[in-house]
Amino acid sequence: MRRYEVFLKKDGRDEFRHAGSLDAPNDELALVLARESYARRAEGDRLWLVDRENVILGDTDFMAPNADKPHRHNDGKAIAEHRRNVREGGS
Amino acid sequence: MTGLGSGVREFLLAFADDEHLMGQQHTEWIGVAPFLEEDLAFSSIAQDELGHAAALYAIVAGDGDPVVDDLRIDELAFRCSPDDWRSAQLVEVVSGDWAHALVRHWLYDAAEQFRWEQVAQSSLTPLAEAAARAEREELYHRRHADGLLDVLLPVSDSGDRLRAALTDLLPLAVGLFDPVAGEAEAVATGVASAPLDTRLGEWTDRVRQRFDVDPSQAQPAAPTGRLERHPDFGPLLARMREVIDLDPAAVW
Repeated sequence: MRRYEVFLKKDGRDEFRHAGSLDAPNDELALVLARESYARRAEGDRLWLVDRENVILGDTDFMAPNADKPHRHNDGKAIAEHRRNVREGGS
Repeated sequence: MTGLGSGVREFLLAFADDEHLMGQQHTEWIGVAPFLEEDLAFSSIAQDELGHAAALYAIVAGDGDPVVDDLRIDELAFRCSPDDWRSAQLVEVVSGDWAHALVRHWLYDAAEQFRWEQVAQSSLTPLAEAAARAEREELYHRRHADGLLDVLLPVSDSGDRLRAALTDLLPLAVGLFDPVAGEAEAVATGVASAPLDTRLGEWTDRVRQRFDVDPSQAQPAAPTGRLERHPDFGPLLARMREVIDLDPAAVW
């Protein structure tokens, strides 16, 4: 059995979104089974099926360094104040 | 076109009864199919077949105009006496085994394609419309059955079970092509383009290619014009009427 990740998209502007996953012995059966498992109520009108083997993974070790960088959560206040000061001839 | 002749009526009822019982038999796998995704897929297929039955019953109930209320469809679907049914024995027989159910699903849907094709240009417009809709769904049914058989037939254990089921079912499956008397009227009035058994050769070729057996070796059950019910039919009808019989006047 292979494991597949299922993505669905509805017509319009929404992007493809992850809907779930399923196990199937080959691509054809994965497609057949995914449609009724994830889109039987018209949850999407397009479907992407990705064999998990083909997903390029960024694991938690690779991602961890960014967990502790609050300075990147900029709400814009400091920059806005700086620009206002410059505009008004301040420092 | 309204005002159906009695032959056309019988022809439509035979098709509807087959779809109804095939759908019912498939629904009996809800919750007990071999794995979850298959449970969902097979249930959806069952719903499709029941939908086809409802569309056909509606045409009969409305005497050619399918805008009728559900109670009149229920009359045809649940209240007919066993003598009035025109189903094929293939869809009456019980499948207690998944291999059996899968092979029947394949055999039935291979024939169903030809059946809808025979009425795709029907003089009865609602029937031609139902055929167009059904074929979109049937494409999925065939991919589903073929997809599973592609994987399961080459494996020795599952392949053996499937071939045993085929041996068991083939004589009954040929009975799908056993016409009701009313088919002649349906063909004469352009409701169907030709008798269904003109497609038997193509169906047989498909069976041969799919299962690598010679279907003509199977001794078909004697044609009855669909007037004889299989012994499994009585209990099946009782299961189907279990709820409606609790309160025949209930409105759904």
